[in-house]
Amino acid sequence: MSYEKVEVYSPRSLAEALEILSQKKEHIKPVAGGTDVMVMLKDGVVKEKELLNLSYISELSYIKEKESRILIGAATKYREIRRSPIINAYAPILIEAVRQIGSPQIQNLGTIGGNLGTASPAGDSIPPLYVLNARVKLQKIGTSREVQIDKFFLGPRKTVKEPDELITEISVDKMEPGSYYFFEKLGLRSANAISIVSAAGIINLENKTVKYLRLSLGAVAPTVIRATDAEEEAKGKELSEDLIDRIAKLASEATKPISDIRGTAEYRKKATYGIVYEALYRIFKGYGKKIEYGFEKTS
Amino acid sequence: MEVNVSFNLNGKKVSVTAPPAKSLLRVLREDLGITSVKPGCEAGECGACSVLLDGQVVTSCLVMISQVDGKNVITVEGLQKDGELDPLQKSFIDEGATQCGYCTPGFIISAKGLLNENPNPTDEEILEGVSGNICRCGAYPRIFNAIKKVVKKNVI
Ligand SMILES: Cc1cc2nc3c(=O)[nH]c(=O)nc-3n(C[C@H](O)[C@H](O)[C@H](O)COP(=O)(O)OP(=O)(O)OC[C@H]3O[C@@H](n4cnc5c(N)ncnc54)[C@H](O)[C@@H]3O)c2cc1C
Ligand code: FES
Ligand code: FES
Repeated sequence: MSYEKVEVYSPRSLAEALEILSQKKEHIKPVAGGTDVMVMLKDGVVKEKELLNLSYISELSYIKEKESRILIGAATKYREIRRSPIINAYAPILIEAVRQIGSPQIQNLGTIGGNLGTASPAGDSIPPLYVLNARVKLQKIGTSREVQIDKFFLGPRKTVKEPDELITEISVDKMEPGSYYFFEKLGLRSANAISIVSAAGIINLENKTVKYLRLSLGAVAPTVIRATDAEEEAKGKELSEDLIDRIAKLASEATKPISDIRGTAEYRKKATYGIVYEALYRIFKGYGKKIEYGFEKTS
Repeated sequence: MEVNVSFNLNGKKVSVTAPPAKSLLRVLREDLGITSVKPGCEAGECGACSVLLDGQVVTSCLVMISQVDGKNVITVEGLQKDGELDPLQKSFIDEGATQCGYCTPGFIISAKGLLNENPNPTDEEILEGVSGNICRCGAYPRIFNAIKKVVKKNVI
């Protein structure tokens, strides 16, 4: 569909948007920042004849605390996430990822809900959301449901979202003070590059013993995945070069990568080992990033 | 199937009628005669179409005209004040920070967006600030110097 033939609805409230969506269902496509949809429109791959512009719905853009959770409105821009005192204090791993997304231009337009809507396994906000135990709120007229992030994605560009539902909120755990964290991304260059492999991790240590490790991997399977075997291996053990090697190997074994123009499957498996090893080694040697009393600090 | 959209362009109120999903880039060039915004990739990757939207740098090829109602849009045409070029524009001229010039308006707008929010950026912050802009001729060192010169004046 070329842009000339496309109709755009621009509701000013969520209620209005849900009403339009309930009537048009799969015939209308939501647009928030447009950083994915506009490229698709240019490439002629948008099949819907109508677009639902969410950019005027201010009630979809917020960052709030609720006890041990943080609530993020779906249409919150990367820019707001990066500048949020709440996210900086309690979920800095998300900042690590967001500052590596696109460019200033993309971060000033793109939204976290749009990253989930696109459902690319290379979406950079997604690995941190896995290790922050995120839940995705899906809303339609009169009702809403919450889905655990690992149940939200069905495959590349496929989610459990129904055509009459909007993503309205993403909620995450606050990180525990004292946890180390990382987000590593391999791209062809630093700006405007799609991840070839990415990894997000939170590791909580008591003295040198791993209380828990949460590790997720991007761009190496049909969806972002949690490296659960690696997490299990780490639990209760003393951090050492040997343990880091085993964790990185298990992470690499958990991947089911494809070969594409950005890299071969074999490269992705090796690179997974490499970035996980390096990130954990840095923490082991005392150069990792640590969240202290809810505030970011480099140890 | 057209929409009427009113917004503030370089300090003046404008009204346009256009297909609702037409990009701000195409509307600026084709309907409003603003040709400093350049179509490069039209996919958000080159930054040649950059504008300030409510003060923030965005690629106008990714913005639908339907999303601009009531907003403020600034292009390089709007940077001069009382016939005086903006310090960034002067600095780009002084440093010869342009070869073919296709990328120049986009770089100036990105730098302007950065300096509006952070008048005293570090070298790293300057590099990040223009990381969404590509110069096909490779004038990067001069572009960096041009921005850096303005930053130095800001500090004094
Ligand atoms: C130059 C460039 C660089 C990029 N770099 C990166 C990068 O480094 N990392 C990365 O992860 N991504 C990157 N992207 C992709 C894109 O910017 C992100 O996926 C972004 O988060 C999309 O958000 P948006 O609001 O612009 O989405 P839109 O384009 O508005 O929408 C994307 C999809 O989500 C759906 N959608 C949006 N909001 C909702 C909602 N509330 N409810 C239901 N469905 C919704 C839309 O229907 C559409 O299918 C890049 C894109 C470009 C053009
Ligand atoms: S034309 Fe808009 S970014 Fe290239
Ligand atoms: S001067 Fe030619 S593209 Fe930059």
